[in-house]
Amino acid sequence: LKGKRGISFGEIARAAYDEGRGRLATELLNYEPQAGKQVPLLLNMEEDSIALDKAIESGDTDLVFHVLLHLKKKLPLASLFRTINSRPMAVALVESSAMDQDWELLKDLYYQDDRRLDGSNLLLAEALAQTETTPKIEKLRMAAKLLQDSRENAFQVKAIDEEQRLLRMQDAFDKDLADQHNRFAGLSVNETMFRLIKMGSAKRAQRVVSEFKVPEKTYWWVRLRALVAKRDWH
Amino acid sequence: MAPHASINTQDIADKARRDLLQLLEGVRGKKNLVIEKALAGPVGLFVKFSTLQEYGVDRVFFLENDNVDSSQRNVIFLSRAEKAKQAQSIAGQIKRLRRTGSTDHEFSVFWVPRRTLVCDQILEEAGVLGEVNALEFPVYFVPLEKDVLSLELDDSFSDLYLRKDPASMFLAARALMLLQQSHGLFPRILGKGDNAKRLADLLTRMRSEQDVTSSADSSAGSIPSRLGLTPSMAIDSLIIIDREIDLPTVLLTQLTYEGLIDEVFTVQNNQAEVDSSIVGAPPSQNTSSSSKDASQPSKTSALKRKIQLDSSDKLYAQLRDTNFAIVGGLLSKVARRLQADYESRHKANQTTSELRDFVAKLPGYQAEQASLKVHTSLAEEIMKHTRSDLFSRVLEVQQNLAAGSDPSIMHDNIEELIARDCPLTAVLRLLCLESCIANGLRPKDLDIFKRSILHAYGHQHLLTFAALEKIGLLTARTTSAAGYLLPTAGSGGGAAGGGPRVTNYNAVRKTLKLIVDEVNESDPNDIAYVFSGYAPLSVRLVQAVIQKTALAQSSSATRGLAATAPPASAAGTASQGWTGFESALASIRGATVDETQVGSSKDAMRARSVLAGGGGAGQEKTTVVFFLGGVTFAEIAALRFVAAREEGRRRIVVATTGIVAGDRVVGAAIEKRGFGAS
Repeated sequence: LKGKRGISFGEIARAAYDEGRGRLATELLNYEPQAGKQVPLLLNMEEDSIALDKAIESGDTDLVFHVLLHLKKKLPLASLFRTINSRPMAVALVESSAMDQDWELLKDLYYQDDRRLDGSNLLLAEALAQTETTPKIEKLRMAAKLLQDSRENAFQVKAIDEEQRLLRMQDAFDKDLADQHNRFAGLSVNETMFRLIKMGSAKRAQRVVSEFKVPEKTYWWVRLRALVAKRDWH
Repeated sequence: MAPHASINTQDIADKARRDLLQLLEGVRGKKNLVIEKALAGPVGLFVKFSTLQEYGVDRVFFLENDNVDSSQRNVIFLSRAEKAKQAQSIAGQIKRLRRTGSTDHEFSVFWVPRRTLVCDQILEEAGVLGEVNALEFPVYFVPLEKDVLSLELDDSFSDLYLRKDPASMFLAARALMLLQQSHGLFPRILGKGDNAKRLADLLTRMRSEQDVTSSADSSAGSIPSRLGLTPSMAIDSLIIIDREIDLPTVLLTQLTYEGLIDEVFTVQNNQAEVDSSIVGAPPSQNTSSSSKDASQPSKTSALKRKIQLDSSDKLYAQLRDTNFAIVGGLLSKVARRLQADYESRHKANQTTSELRDFVAKLPGYQAEQASLKVHTSLAEEIMKHTRSDLFSRVLEVQQNLAAGSDPSIMHDNIEELIARDCPLTAVLRLLCLESCIANGLRPKDLDIFKRSILHAYGHQHLLTFAALEKIGLLTARTTSAAGYLLPTAGSGGGAAGGGPRVTNYNAVRKTLKLIVDEVNESDPNDIAYVFSGYAPLSVRLVQAVIQKTALAQSSSATRGLAATAPPASAAGTASQGWTGFESALASIRGATVDETQVGSSKDAMRARSVLAGGGGAGQEKTTVVFFLGGVTFAEIAALRFVAAREEGRRRIVVATTGIVAGDRVVGAAIEKRGFGAS
């Protein structure tokens, strides 16, 4: 029969399965070119991983999602992760959809796969979503902790640490130079210096320079811009 | 249906409009339309709001605003079905209306381009699936121009390369499949890049699926496909370019008029939003006023005005693809001609018939004058940008990097730009450009740049860096993914081990002559004019297929030579495909695709060739160039330049998942939130 046009192996396979001959049905399905017809049947037959493979082969993301949602309901998370792990497209789709709706799932996924940088970035993003400084710093601390003992992430750890110090410093500035409409919290290092100079508080700006080891050239450019802005103001 | 008529983009628009209106007719009575924001623009390309009103649409709401009201009984949702987010939002709104609405609503959803299992599942879980009338609205390509088809998927770049979500690839395959159904199989599929390979595989796969559906039941069978598909007579090949193989082209600042409009104002769905203080207020002001008062800040300066940018405007059609350097000259030429035309009529012997002629032409003059005024103001505004110090600094760095000079010389420049608070997108484009061209940055340099960017723009950009690295735009040199491709390694492209490698620009720059120093901008002799000296690699690859001789000679090509020498490849179909450029291809990232499609049944093929007779052979054929992951306006201009050279022998139709530009590519990675209290 193979090679003839217009023969639906899907239907033959379904018949075979209905007759209770599961193995034969699976075998026959290999000849069915339309993934749309293979996949639901395979799920029916509980051939989960084959169904997933066929869906991925078809390139139809809708089918892949369909299988994934099915699996997610059926399997415990850990074995779901194990199933998708060897299939990059499935992982990508799970990640991409979880990014929109299910962060906890994502955390578990990264934890199980030991993808520390991704996990840490997730916490970083959560820190951005916080409205108060204290919980922000707390999330940052957790993000840094995840990465602590690996050398390759040294830069990341240092940067996260820097942001914590910056946030504390800005909190202090906000208290000293209370201005409800122009808070310091959340500004970048350069922006902080810029505003301090513009406000005429060069001493505090110098403190920022030494705390974060701002290169001299950068400082001079920032100062120049701030002074120009100041003159324009008057 | 004439099976092998050449591709006419107007037909596609007509079909989309018919389909939509038919769906609207299916819902009786007046209705409110709730449309996904990202779909409103593309839909606007083929149907007018007034037409929708004729079909009973009372008010239009955006899905994202969540503010549809109960003024009409019928509520129609129009949304893409590939993203779960939209389905959830629809489900939420249906529930809200059911709770608060006074009337008993009837809901319809038109899924674009198809109904998906996932969306059904979401609606079911929300308990609203039963009362929703779900229909499919199969739009894939929308025509932006006669020679440009786009899926208008705005986030296809980040979906494909950041999230590795192949949904847009699947849609692209479907869209190309539809083209094949109406115009015949692409006789040859050429492509470069791993995703191009995947897309080509999908096309083959869908074809075999098609073979089954055609004789069994037909879920996809609106097109009569009793006969298997045969190779097209009107199309000679499909060339698929994966965006990933040539990222620098997107990162460079485009220097054509349309490209710069996109860089400065952003063009979406053939429209740009421009501050009305720049181009003058939208109402029909007295057109005789000079362009000067348009640039004066008017009272309505806060308002934005939408400007239509397509080739129905003759002046724009003439300007869009030219290098910006000569736009000023062209504008003044047109202005002078208009002036002369206008005055000559006054002097003419004032017989009544001549006057009548003049009056009949008057609306044309006024339209032209209005368009001239708009483009003069736009050009002036762009000039302000291009004359600024930062702009020329950025351009200087770009040109040096593209030309292959030692990138570390440019580092001071970039540092200064950061300290001067140049827009983050511009800085990142430069760093990514360096990384893509020079195979990653030295780890030490990269850390220094990262630090100064964090300091200047905020530490939230740690996430930005993570995203850029995932896309492969900004990497450290030691990372294995950034290994150079040696010309000898992996003749089969992706077959060579070691994971994905990047394009080796040092090799390609020479073999494909990416740098053309003597390019003439006012009368261009090479596609390199679109970047004032740099020829986009992507378009060079297209030339490697269809303009072999011209490309091979292009080192010696003076202006006259290239124009008069007809490519020998046009004569011999034997040397089609990538022949002659294999070594260049080997140093470009990803797999190389070269497939020939033959008809599934010989009888049908013979019958068709008899029907077509000898006449079909000589006619000009269409080459479809598909950009997976987006195309820039500069590349479109370059392809139009190639098409003009091939006129009579070949038409080029550009198809893409969407229009991209550097800011949007880098912007896909940029973390938008800050550490401030929100």
